[in-house]
Amino acid sequence: MKSADDQILDEAARWHIASGDDAMDWDAFTQWLEADPRHAAAYDEVALTDGLLQEHRADLDAVAESSAELPAGAEDSSGEGADIIRPAFGKRLRWAGFAIAATLAAVLAIPQFMVPAAQVYETTGAAREIALEDGSTIMLAPRSSLTVEGRHQDQMALSGGALFDIRHDPDRQLTISAGGLQISDIGTRFDVQAQDKRVRVSVVEGKVEVRSDSLAAPVRLAAGKGLSYDAAAGTAAVAPVRAEDVGAWRSGRLSYDDAPLALVAADLRRYAGVEVAVPDALRGRRFSGTLVISDGDAALRDLAQVMGLRLSGSAGAWRLEQPAR
Amino acid sequence: MESEEYGDANGLAGLLDMHRADLLRFLTARCGSPDEAEDIVQEMWIKVSGQAGGPITNGPIANGRAYLFRMANNLVLDRARGRRRSMQRERNWLEAEGGGVAHMPEDRTDPGEPADEIISREQEAQVLRDAIAALPEGAQRALRLYRFEEMGQKEIAEVMGISRSGVEKHLALAMKRLREALVGCGAFDAAASMGYGERSGGKPRMEQGQ
Repeated sequence: MKSADDQILDEAARWHIASGDDAMDWDAFTQWLEADPRHAAAYDEVALTDGLLQEHRADLDAVAESSAELPAGAEDSSGEGADIIRPAFGKRLRWAGFAIAATLAAVLAIPQFMVPAAQVYETTGAAREIALEDGSTIMLAPRSSLTVEGRHQDQMALSGGALFDIRHDPDRQLTISAGGLQISDIGTRFDVQAQDKRVRVSVVEGKVEVRSDSLAAPVRLAAGKGLSYDAAAGTAAVAPVRAEDVGAWRSGRLSYDDAPLALVAADLRRYAGVEVAVPDALRGRRFSGTLVISDGDAALRDLAQVMGLRLSGSAGAWRLEQPAR
Repeated sequence: MESEEYGDANGLAGLLDMHRADLLRFLTARCGSPDEAEDIVQEMWIKVSGQAGGPITNGPIANGRAYLFRMANNLVLDRARGRRRSMQRERNWLEAEGGGVAHMPEDRTDPGEPADEIISREQEAQVLRDAIAALPEGAQRALRLYRFEEMGQKEIAEVMGISRSGVEKHLALAMKRLREALVGCGAFDAAASMGYGERSGGKPRMEQGQ
């Protein structure tokens, strides 16, 4: 029977070996350390051993080399763990049983040292629903991309738009980075639109926290609030949002309250697939109202009309202009 | 000032801020002391904000995060290493002072360095040399490639014609055996480790097999 200490040392050694890899699951390692104070002590000894090995490298190199030039075939061909049972060494047979048990225990006790690879979702013309393992769902807008990483699928990066419907789980905190903002969620329903360095976060239910280097302090957004952040201009504003407007893009509507025209144009590109150039002088002009986006050209004409602008050019290369008076 | 901060928006300082809570939690578990954890995060902050525009400003977040955790882990290890060395020196000094038996007096020849330091370092090398020689070939070869040829685990798997997890097992076994050998000769008696050696000291070490 294998002692608990030995088991701990096995795990410690495997964590130490995994720590050299980019895919090391540091959160799971943290949990392993927290589980038992002996874990950290065992890990220290293993890591110190490796440290000493590297310190004495010059002295040890020659020795290791001379004894390592053995035919490797016999053991390697039979794969993992084969070196453990080798009758040629009398000593080794004696503890072969322990070693096998060690291998099995290590496999059972810590099946995962590595974080699963990142998943990247990209949409073109149509939105797509993404289901997370915990039952949360994300509706990813057209022409957007979302990367999901982390053992608990809790590290995300968004470019474009998405409506998040996240289940509350006290053990994990979801963080979404988008256009220079970090949005942390505490189980809620909220929408994020990120285009370049311009981000809007609108909360329907629950609460989210938004952080950025350029914000003096984290901003907490409650239900019914929205944040408009513009990294280029260095501005962030919190304003009320109407629940029925949040994520309304899914039902073919875009609603705005005092939104800059450049942002409306970017949304039309994303949601209605219509390209429109906005001259610099008009980019900051404000728009309030609702656009129906099932027909992109029609939505653009509506926008031009409401704003008192002229739509020039032709399909595929529209341009909004200030009409000559 | 503002522009510099902004330039680091996707850099390490920003990431450090973002993952501060996770790093603190990790470091607290790792060193067993929230104060030391704070200390180390502070040290990391100085390091990452010192390098303007950080080295991995456009790397994916996940890698940046792993980079910070690795950095934190290494800082803890540096401290443990320093502590072990200074305690070792102190212990050797006390033994010599109190007329106790210091290690291998016949080795105490070179006047250039503190003698106790030399002795323990030579002992360490000898213990490691023996332990490496006693490793099963698979583990020995994997270890040699990993630490002396500085190959990555993936590369070793290719060279040895075995799976990644096979390499991992070989290396873990090697580390474990070397640690046993060092513990056996008291190398960690003065270490920072929290009494792990003592606790397991009473039990027979079944795998020592030499």
